[in-house]
Amino acid sequence: MSPVIPAHAGRLRYSLQALIVSVWVILILIAPAGARNAADESAGERLYREGMLPSSRPLRGYRAGAGSIEGSDAACVHCHRPSGFGSTEGRSVIPPVTAKYLFHARTRQKDKEDTQHGSAAVPDRSAYTDATLARAIREGVGPDGRPLDYLMPRYKLDDATMASLIAYLKSLSGRRQPGVTDDTMHFATIIAPDSDPVKKQAMLDVLDHYFAAKNTLYRPRVPLLRGSERVRPRILRKWQLHVWQLEGNPETWKAQLHKRLLTEPVFAVISGIAGRNWEPVHEFCQEESIPCLLPNVELPVVKESDFYNVYFSRGVLLEADLIAQKVREQVGKSERARIIQVYRADDIGAEASRELCIKVEPVGFRVLNHALGSGDSIQSQADFLKGAGQDDVVVFWLRPKDLKGLPPDVPTRATLYFSGVMGGLENVPLSGGWRVAAQITYPLELPERRAVLLNYPLGWFRWQRINLVAERTQVDTYVACSILSENLDSMHDDLVRDYLLERTEDMLSSRLINGFYTRLGLAAGQRFASKGGYIVRLSESGRAKVTAEGDWIVPSLQ
Amino acid sequence: MKSRLRYVSEFLMLVAAGVMAGSVRGSEPAVIRSNVQYAVPQITLVRQDGKSVFLPKELDDGRPVVMNFVFTTCGTICPLLSQTFERLQSKLGADRDRVHIVSITIDPEEDTPQRLTEYAKRYNAGPGWQHYTGTLKAIVATERAFNVYRGDKMSHTPVTLLRLAPGRPWVRFDGFVTADELAREIRSEVAAAK
Repeated sequence: MSPVIPAHAGRLRYSLQALIVSVWVILILIAPAGARNAADESAGERLYREGMLPSSRPLRGYRAGAGSIEGSDAACVHCHRPSGFGSTEGRSVIPPVTAKYLFHARTRQKDKEDTQHGSAAVPDRSAYTDATLARAIREGVGPDGRPLDYLMPRYKLDDATMASLIAYLKSLSGRRQPGVTDDTMHFATIIAPDSDPVKKQAMLDVLDHYFAAKNTLYRPRVPLLRGSERVRPRILRKWQLHVWQLEGNPETWKAQLHKRLLTEPVFAVISGIAGRNWEPVHEFCQEESIPCLLPNVELPVVKESDFYNVYFSRGVLLEADLIAQKVREQVGKSERARIIQVYRADDIGAEASRELCIKVEPVGFRVLNHALGSGDSIQSQADFLKGAGQDDVVVFWLRPKDLKGLPPDVPTRATLYFSGVMGGLENVPLSGGWRVAAQITYPLELPERRAVLLNYPLGWFRWQRINLVAERTQVDTYVACSILSENLDSMHDDLVRDYLLERTEDMLSSRLINGFYTRLGLAAGQRFASKGGYIVRLSESGRAKVTAEGDWIVPSLQ
Repeated sequence: MKSRLRYVSEFLMLVAAGVMAGSVRGSEPAVIRSNVQYAVPQITLVRQDGKSVFLPKELDDGRPVVMNFVFTTCGTICPLLSQTFERLQSKLGADRDRVHIVSITIDPEEDTPQRLTEYAKRYNAGPGWQHYTGTLKAIVATERAFNVYRGDKMSHTPVTLLRLAPGRPWVRFDGFVTADELAREIRSEVAAAK
């Protein structure tokens, strides 16, 4: 006897089966679609950033009368920038291409306009749709039928590629960034364990005061000023500083930093300080896509393709290039001249001496290196100085502590160069004949000319009751904070990390007061803001005064 | 006085260019062509091969001169300006090196001779096309002499200058002049010189 199955039970079974089938059908439909979207977006990203089509062939763009461009030259990122917020150069305006901008109408009525679309936004335009955007990219026609600017190339993309690009644009700079909350911007400063304790504290004093001063301007909800809608108070978020003190071996620093970032997400790293090694911090910022602005380091990492790290200058490496340039121009008797370098094996002079070797050995100079070990004193090594002849060049990559150990009389007639950055600039502890013979590298503005440039920061320190204990560290930290503040203010509500770097690239050279630096300037692919220096001689009087030996030098040797 | 008048007239033309650009922002570039007298500044620049050269002598080598102002890390307008010179060289064909093409950097501290050499290679510059840098002072003075100085490099505007022979006036193009247009202007002069 077959079991009797009630009719409704059968219906139930069929309903269940139907349900399972439909769930599967839905899953089958959705899952690949989701996977396809993700793939599309990454293809769009490759196209935007590298100018590479999904077929791995180079992207091609066309302009009437100017032929075609291809590959990375044709990539959107060139003009619209990594953030997608665009840029301006002279009268050329490259509008943003983020979704918020493209898919909303733009009006000329200022009170109806929100400022969240980058500084290069163009007013008076209807919203794009996917279809009109595709037409704009293919045919160069805006949503209202007006032709786009001549600078915008035309791209013949197939439908799938176009969809992937538009999918990418819809995600570009669209998410809230780490370190930004409704009322606070979080920043970190990073301190390496071998930092000079006085300079470290000096830097922290300036940062604390700068952040506190900034926060006195904070107003959580200020209504628009009546009748002046363009004057909007923008200090809508407090600044909070996180001090990340590193410990132990440099090999462990990156892990320490990744861990800190998990618990304290920050928008950017500002200033910071290290003794010898900054590389792990540089790499961390690059890996995490965190802007790292203007740390107090004399040995930066030279890798200008790394977008996220910006330095004041190449530090001691710039000094090595200044000496190389001078030696190659002036000595000229390369077959006889030797270059003798003295440095501590465990200090940044070791890298500087290597840089000098690279710049002079290929043109025939002989280089002799004297590396002092941890137990060695300069006195015990002074013999090599006696052997240095008139045609030779001796370069001292030493700190004041070592320089104080030089013999009282100069035992050689060789040309003598000292690293100003390591030796203490105009305060380098040299006396007697050493003062007369020494040529000092000086990759900063000269003391008498910078006096005016320092007026403002030094006045601010007095007003804030900050003791001046490490003038350069403090002024550089102040300048770094000012640059961050100006650029962040210019970003309005587009608080995107990449955009902070782009604003820094664009705006830095328009600053006039940069403390110790004659000029600062960057652009896409430039990561060292001050590019030259002087060779100076000390006053004989023993006072901290210097005279430039010739003009400002921008090293240009290969 | 004369120079002030020149600036005023150039300003008016730029305004006109702006109006034109506003109305036809489009598929064909809006270019303003004008004839201008410039005194070549008595200045020494550094060529991409590292050699210091006296600018008047460098420009007065008897050949027609086509000149622009670029910088190597510029992502917006310079690639198009340099591409125009690349196309101009290929359009000139056998006459390529009878025309002296001059690109002067407006970012001299970054653009060392080495960087300029690499940049020139990127645009397949033939021997007739040289890039120049110099001290910041020399570069600013050169920019001022040709009325292209706009302060910061981010205020850079596209300008191309053409002089068919020493002593002749300069033809100034504000905007993106095409290689065809430049080739047309030069060709008669090159043919006459043969």
